[in-house]
Amino acid sequence: MSVAEDIGFFGKLPKALPGLALLVGTMVVIRFWIEPWMGNAVILDQKGWLIKVTHLNYILLGIIMGLLYRNVLFGGKLPDVFADGFKLSRLFIKTGIILLGSLYTVQAIIKLGSMAIFLIGGFVVLSIVMVLWLGKLLGMDRSMTGVMANACSICGVSAAVATAPAVEAKATHVAYAIATILGFGILTMFISPFIGHALGLNDLQYGAWVGTGILNSGQVLAACLAFNPNVAPGTAVSVGEIWNIMRVISIPFAVFAVTVWYWAGKEQPEGTKKSLSTLLLEKFPVFVLGFLGMVLLTSIGAFGDAGIKGGPPASATIKMIRDWMQWIFGIGLVGMGGYIDFKELAQAGGKPLKVGLLVGATKYVLALIVVMIIRDHLVEI
Amino acid sequence: MAEDKIGSETVASAAKGKMTLFRDDRQEDIGAIVFSALLVAIIVLLTMK
Repeated sequence: MSVAEDIGFFGKLPKALPGLALLVGTMVVIRFWIEPWMGNAVILDQKGWLIKVTHLNYILLGIIMGLLYRNVLFGGKLPDVFADGFKLSRLFIKTGIILLGSLYTVQAIIKLGSMAIFLIGGFVVLSIVMVLWLGKLLGMDRSMTGVMANACSICGVSAAVATAPAVEAKATHVAYAIATILGFGILTMFISPFIGHALGLNDLQYGAWVGTGILNSGQVLAACLAFNPNVAPGTAVSVGEIWNIMRVISIPFAVFAVTVWYWAGKEQPEGTKKSLSTLLLEKFPVFVLGFLGMVLLTSIGAFGDAGIKGGPPASATIKMIRDWMQWIFGIGLVGMGGYIDFKELAQAGGKPLKVGLLVGATKYVLALIVVMIIRDHLVEI
Repeated sequence: MAEDKIGSETVASAAKGKMTLFRDDRQEDIGAIVFSALLVAIIVLLTMK
């Protein structure tokens, strides 16, 4: 590793400032000028027509701006001067998810109940089985199949990355899986708010649907905020993320299951077997622990009243945490938009694309049907 | 090594490079925890009566 690569996070930070300034500046312009303008603009004799019809808000506008930066303004590649700043976007999204813990209490999560756990678990197992079966049917590479199985069943990218070393996947397998699931996810991210509004889903039903049916954590977040930009207990983002976090927590179990499947069907020389416990320890997404810590602190009242439905209003600290969280998510999602490359999406063709789309679409539609069937039994948290 | 290249949320970027300023995903996770702790500490100070 060269010295230039080994300067650490703080060594690289100064170079990231121009890109970070672009991300923050974009969100400032969107929230202070574009969004208010859209809310006040009179089109077809109707005030706020743009927001009512398109349901565009700061989250979707942020992602669209990121997309436009990369694919239109910068011609398909982030320029070096901004590239390092955009690399901070995932840090912002993870930080936002940790702060999101301020929306929940342990009591509320327990209340979520066995139905949610059963549903989330059922969809994870169903997706894994379906990918393994389709992979075999289409004669897909076993490593590729293993990566796709967890990518489609849990939270997309993290699961694909966590599974890759366990099933001897090449970087190209991971890239292909990521491109496929994120490509599908981008579509669902944009159409879900429209479907949700068209079907008259409330925040609880919508959150449960996208938290189960959309493959990627960032896209669950974006789809929820696009449906309802408010961040408070009981809103779409609050419901969607707790369902999604429960899915993320199942990563070690899903990696274990797919690893067992992979090695059970493969002949291997002695001494090359990877230790599963080491893999799980290395790949578990530790920021989930930060989220759980935040839930715990909120539950014991460390920040004052949490503002849970039916209880006293949220304290000033909790309100400020949630306000800052919206900015952090907004900034992170502009960066996420900047990493969606139209050309790379086009590369995700072939068998993995077929499998990813088939499983992704099945899960997306089935989750909606199940949520519609059990919608009166969903527990509000 | 393939393992060095994975760990990115970028569409198809796993084959090209990481999408983080941190050494790996784990470091980024810890960075996010530290960053959120810092933000929460600032907010608690700002809203302290």
